[in-house]
Amino acid sequence: MTKRLFLFLSSMLFIINTSLAQVNVSGTVTDASDGTGIPYATVMVKGTSIATMADVKGAYSLSKVPSNAILVFSSIGYQTIEIPVEGRSIVNAVMSQQAVGLDEVMVVAYGSVKKGSYSGSATMIKGDAIKDIPVMTFEQAITGAVPGVSIAQTSGQPGGLPEIRIRGFSSFNAGNDPLYVIDDIPATSGDLSSANIWSSTMNYLNPSDIETITILKDAAAASLYGSRAANGVILITTKKGQVGKIVSTFKASAGVSYFAYNNYPLANDQEAEMLHREAWTNYANDNPSSWTSYGSISAYVNAKVEQYYPAKKEGYQYVNWEDVLFRNAIAQNYEYSISGGGPLSKTYASVGYNEQQGVNVMENLKRISATINAEAQASKHIKVGGSFQFSSTNQKGNQDGAAKDNPFYLWKVILTSRWPYKDPDGNYWMGTYNGSYRNPVPNFDKQIATSKQGRTMLKGFVEAEILPELKVKTILSYDYTRIDDRFGWMMGHPNGTAYGNGYIGDRYRRVEKLVSSTTLNYDKIFLDKHHVSVMLGWEAEDDSQQYTNLSKSDFANYAMQSTYLAATLKEGGTYNDKSTLLSLISNLNYDFNNKYFVTGTFRRDGSSRLSPEKRWGNFWSVSGSWKLSNEEFMKGVKWADNLKLRASYGTSGTLPSDLYGYMSLFSYEIYGDGNAAYPSNLANYDLTWEKNYNWNVAVEYDFLKRFGIVAEYYERKTKDLLLDASVPTTTGFQTALRNVGSMQNKGVELSLRADIIKNKDISWDFNISWSKYTNKILEMSEKGESIVSRPHVWTAGYSFYQYYSRKYLGVDPETGSPLYAKGTLLEDGTYDMTPVNRKQASSMILKGMSAIPKGFGGFNTNFSYKDLSVSMAWSYKYGHYVWDNATDDIDTDGYSYRNNIGKGQLKRWTEPGDITNVPRRIADNAYGGYYDSSRFLKKGDYLRLKNLTVSYNISKLLKEKANARVYLAGVNLLTFSGLNFDPEVRDSGFYDFSMPAMRTITIGVEITLK
Amino acid sequence: MKKFIINILIACAAISFTSCEGFLDTKPTDQVSSATAMLTLTDATNAVNGLYSDMKWYDYYGSYMPVLGELRADDLQTKDSGGGWVAVYTLDYNSEQSTYFDLWNKCYEVIMRANTILENWEAIPTSTSSDVAVKNDIKGQALATRALVYFDLARTYGYPFTSDNGASLGAVIITRTVSASESRQPRSTVAKTYEQVFSDLETALPLLSRSKNTGHMNYWSAKLLQARAYLYTAQWDKALTAAQEVITSSPYTLVSRANYLNYFSQEGGAETIFELLVRRTSHLDDDGGYDSWYYPLWHGPEINSTGRIIVTQSFINLLKNHTEDIRSQVIKDGSTSIIPDHRDWLGKFPGTNYVDAKMNNPLVMRLSEAYLIAAEAALHVNPSSAAGYINTLRRNRILNYTDVSSITLDDILTERRKEFVGEGHRFFDLMRTGNSVTRSGGFHWCTGEAVTITPTSKKVCLPISHSQRLIYPELQQNPGYTE
Repeated sequence: MTKRLFLFLSSMLFIINTSLAQVNVSGTVTDASDGTGIPYATVMVKGTSIATMADVKGAYSLSKVPSNAILVFSSIGYQTIEIPVEGRSIVNAVMSQQAVGLDEVMVVAYGSVKKGSYSGSATMIKGDAIKDIPVMTFEQAITGAVPGVSIAQTSGQPGGLPEIRIRGFSSFNAGNDPLYVIDDIPATSGDLSSANIWSSTMNYLNPSDIETITILKDAAAASLYGSRAANGVILITTKKGQVGKIVSTFKASAGVSYFAYNNYPLANDQEAEMLHREAWTNYANDNPSSWTSYGSISAYVNAKVEQYYPAKKEGYQYVNWEDVLFRNAIAQNYEYSISGGGPLSKTYASVGYNEQQGVNVMENLKRISATINAEAQASKHIKVGGSFQFSSTNQKGNQDGAAKDNPFYLWKVILTSRWPYKDPDGNYWMGTYNGSYRNPVPNFDKQIATSKQGRTMLKGFVEAEILPELKVKTILSYDYTRIDDRFGWMMGHPNGTAYGNGYIGDRYRRVEKLVSSTTLNYDKIFLDKHHVSVMLGWEAEDDSQQYTNLSKSDFANYAMQSTYLAATLKEGGTYNDKSTLLSLISNLNYDFNNKYFVTGTFRRDGSSRLSPEKRWGNFWSVSGSWKLSNEEFMKGVKWADNLKLRASYGTSGTLPSDLYGYMSLFSYEIYGDGNAAYPSNLANYDLTWEKNYNWNVAVEYDFLKRFGIVAEYYERKTKDLLLDASVPTTTGFQTALRNVGSMQNKGVELSLRADIIKNKDISWDFNISWSKYTNKILEMSEKGESIVSRPHVWTAGYSFYQYYSRKYLGVDPETGSPLYAKGTLLEDGTYDMTPVNRKQASSMILKGMSAIPKGFGGFNTNFSYKDLSVSMAWSYKYGHYVWDNATDDIDTDGYSYRNNIGKGQLKRWTEPGDITNVPRRIADNAYGGYYDSSRFLKKGDYLRLKNLTVSYNISKLLKEKANARVYLAGVNLLTFSGLNFDPEVRDSGFYDFSMPAMRTITIGVEITLK
Repeated sequence: MKKFIINILIACAAISFTSCEGFLDTKPTDQVSSATAMLTLTDATNAVNGLYSDMKWYDYYGSYMPVLGELRADDLQTKDSGGGWVAVYTLDYNSEQSTYFDLWNKCYEVIMRANTILENWEAIPTSTSSDVAVKNDIKGQALATRALVYFDLARTYGYPFTSDNGASLGAVIITRTVSASESRQPRSTVAKTYEQVFSDLETALPLLSRSKNTGHMNYWSAKLLQARAYLYTAQWDKALTAAQEVITSSPYTLVSRANYLNYFSQEGGAETIFELLVRRTSHLDDDGGYDSWYYPLWHGPEINSTGRIIVTQSFINLLKNHTEDIRSQVIKDGSTSIIPDHRDWLGKFPGTNYVDAKMNNPLVMRLSEAYLIAAEAALHVNPSSAAGYINTLRRNRILNYTDVSSITLDDILTERRKEFVGEGHRFFDLMRTGNSVTRSGGFHWCTGEAVTITPTSKKVCLPISHSQRLIYPELQQNPGYTE
């Protein structure tokens, strides 16, 4: 009886305690897979600010916890779990590691979703995957890694703008670059410099600060960005810190770079002389009147060769030009970052210094960057955060292309082995054998092309929880870029003399982007199975630019580069530009029982770039997916871990790149001592968006717990293409901006992932992707219209990069003359293929020759064994043709008697009966390689080892006081291609002496202190 | 707290949407909307300057017109196969590859600017009578310039009027601003093109000012243009009357022998009736003038030897050793140069005020031409008076000159060679008088069809651009050229 009473009373007390009182709770947090404690796991009382962190063994204790409270356990890399206290004083938690793959959280447009639930087409790459690759910007590290995305460099100079194309291209004029969104806000991107060098505003971003990169490819993914999303979207999130003890990381690496490929092999000294002699001899034989005044053919040939390719002179110093023009470039990188957080806040801060030299002394890119990201729970329902990113880049370079200032062009075309380097007195020889080109070496410091960019990004946000299901978030962002460009030539440089005594142009551009974004998010699960989430918001964006330029000439001394004291003002002025965008955004997601997912998005944009009647546009998408593997009938099926079908359809757009293109305007210039005014463009008040209609279907299939396949097919059609359409010049204008025509891209993307081995000590995975797309112009502005944009033609029925030139038919074995197809259109619509000479041949559409590949993609593999890990990534592209514009400089069949000669010219025709593709050499050759033809087109197939990293964890050596590892990493290490120049060429296929890509090998160390 | 947040949000939304109208209206700062660009007399004057600032560029009077007029004839040639003018000398231009398409485009750009002025002209307010005179002069300049452009189009893209009475194809006649679809007109005949020229000049002449106006057209340049056009169309009596009016009544005087060489360095020289002003006031690149992408046009002393055009042996034979004729001194001796093969070059244009040989004001019309037109026209109308004009001219060119009593057409053509070398007349003079030109011997190196050009050769007319014809097929090609 007493016992029962005691029990009753204690249980009453107990009940009273649990319902009214608090309890001290303690326990251990362990890892589900091996039972070890999870160090510094966070334990929080849900709905309050009571929280603590477990110790290094996972043990925690909390006091004064309400008995009916729920404890939330979280730790990075683990799935958060909640356990009700229920009055207990010991609550242990077992946490499972966060599943990668389907349950992985993926950052997407205006939010984040679980990968398994996503109906759109997007690929996410973690920053950690690319952290060791020695590149200055992230784009170079992901070439070939994302199906459907093709990345090429416009130039191998450090800081050069990458060309990124997501699922082909759809615009003639408005740009094919994707939208960059950084931490939820669209960011200034592209090349805004004006210093004669390619420079990307994205050079500011240190790849080590990147947390994730998500590339949005289809309408479902990108339509929320509406009028700027037609070319896809690159979403970048920067590191924000993580809950747990403070982690600081120090990283340093250094290495060496040089050209990645053997570009343009040339005929050597004797071969070149022999080829020149042959060209002159043949000319003399064909034109007897030419040599009569010289007495004999050999006297004539000797005189001509001596004039243009003279013998080496006694006492003069000759050099292998590669040795004096280029050097082994140094790459170095130093970073320090610190990140940490508690249950209520987290912070990430970093500072970095990176420098990449270019192969020529004039080329260099230096960057200092600093970032602070922080967010905190300001009160129970309000979270605030902000970020401050600052970066200063200093890029120096030289003009790319067939230019006097390009050392690559000079090396391969102009500076022959007979060109003296120094004269007998030891001074640089500054004479010329070729127009106005001179020895460039003493003038490297007199040639200026620099772009200094300072970028500051300030963001602040407030997120308030109105109801548990309803949140509102406002972000304000200020993105300021200042670009100081300077280019010029000081006295002593051949160009400097042409403009007076030296010339320097300074261009200052200030670009400001102010964005305000507010979204309301509602997310609730009804009746356990119906999950609904709605987003509604608005956004305003204001872009303004101020542009100032000042150019002066006539300096007193080449070392004095301050334009204050230069005597002559050449040009000076300022102007401003502004462009604004106002938008309404909304999104609805519904999923039923984690099996059926439906999403709809809607965005309405108003832009200042169009006339008031036409400036508002609506963009929407609908998508759905069906997780077959979650169906009842699929449960227990062994051959599919995950089988999902998804499809989407939607619209997006592209704005004109011209800010005032629709207006009718007058421009001004100077005439005599007065002003002159003139109409500067043909107005178009009907100007509107380019409209993109995309649909996409895909299958995602994971099986045997280690393989995964994703297969996608898409079509995207663009209408109302913006085109600076050629108009009859009888209008007084050559082009007018109009919406004309339509284009279509269709493609397939396949990717396979294989986790070959995955256990405690060893892991090995392999991924491969293959993509293909076809592009076709459906309509131009008028039926039958063709626009020639050398070396392509734009006409209905053919792709955007269809080559158009004379068709080269080879060499006549009897005469050695080059033959071309006549190229005129016959009545039946085909081309006349009669072989004729160059002057009689017309350009024709070169069917089957396009710059669009038959397939491209990449494969990578990652292997790790205990402390050692190795990763490498390859990229490939095949089936496309590239236009080698160097042909008219070095494969001229004798036209040029001053330039270097390409090695391929050795295969020339010499006597009747020779079968070859290289014609007979003759000086001033008016029929051969100097003139455009399909001979300039070469197969561009290549396979390249893009990066390889070998990393070894040496933490044990440091007795676990810190995590440390050393690594060896390289970029562009191996290349296989049939081309005689670096095969990574832009999408248009046109290559004309831009600085080739560099191979870099670095060694580095990373130390993490906890 | 929640209510407070919601209220703030609604307020923000409200503010932002009410200000959205102005938010999306932006304007450029370096250009002006056409609605406000031509409202006053000053605006119109600026617009007229816009005509000339366009014509001074290399692709019209800066280089192409003189080159097309000289390099296809026998006074000047290119030194060798290097450089950009070779294709004109060797007649190696065709419908697909020819930089000379820019001439067509430039002409129509000037025509569009003139038409824009004419359309906005009516509405410009005037308050005083001198304003009215200025306003009329503006209309006159626009019309006279348009006439000049059509004249140039007729003689570069069509066959000489005198060959077939203007039956060949000339310019597309556009007399108002047109949209892209309206601009797809076919070419009219050379005869119709000249009709347009004469009609524009007739309307312009009463409106134009009779004072000198350096760098602009005025009554006298329009009158001289009219004389020249009459000459090209073999309307001899009208040509004579027009040329005589310029000779007797204009405020210009023939430059004397003593001042001849300096004359070409002067802006607003004594006999300059119409020149285009070139200043190096802006831009890194050339500002127009006798220039070729900042390389000098004329082959020069060592420092300038990037210039490509030299004097032919034929012209040297004509003039070089005739030291009594001041014009022989425009031929500069190249034989003393250290560079092998350095040829005699044309040193006629030393640069305005001798500052920079690349910066010359292209001379479009000057008084000497009036004398030569009068002489040639007089040969058909009143032969005995023809010699008088030549004598007056020669007295100002040749030391100790004795008058001649009669002259022939050949004499006049030869005189024109000596007077106008480098100014772009020779080729057109030969073609309109039914003569062929042969370039062989001496330093000539052209071959094949380029050696002899007859007035019916296909290359007399420039080809119409193939890519323009792809844009609008109504534009007819000249005979002999492939599509």
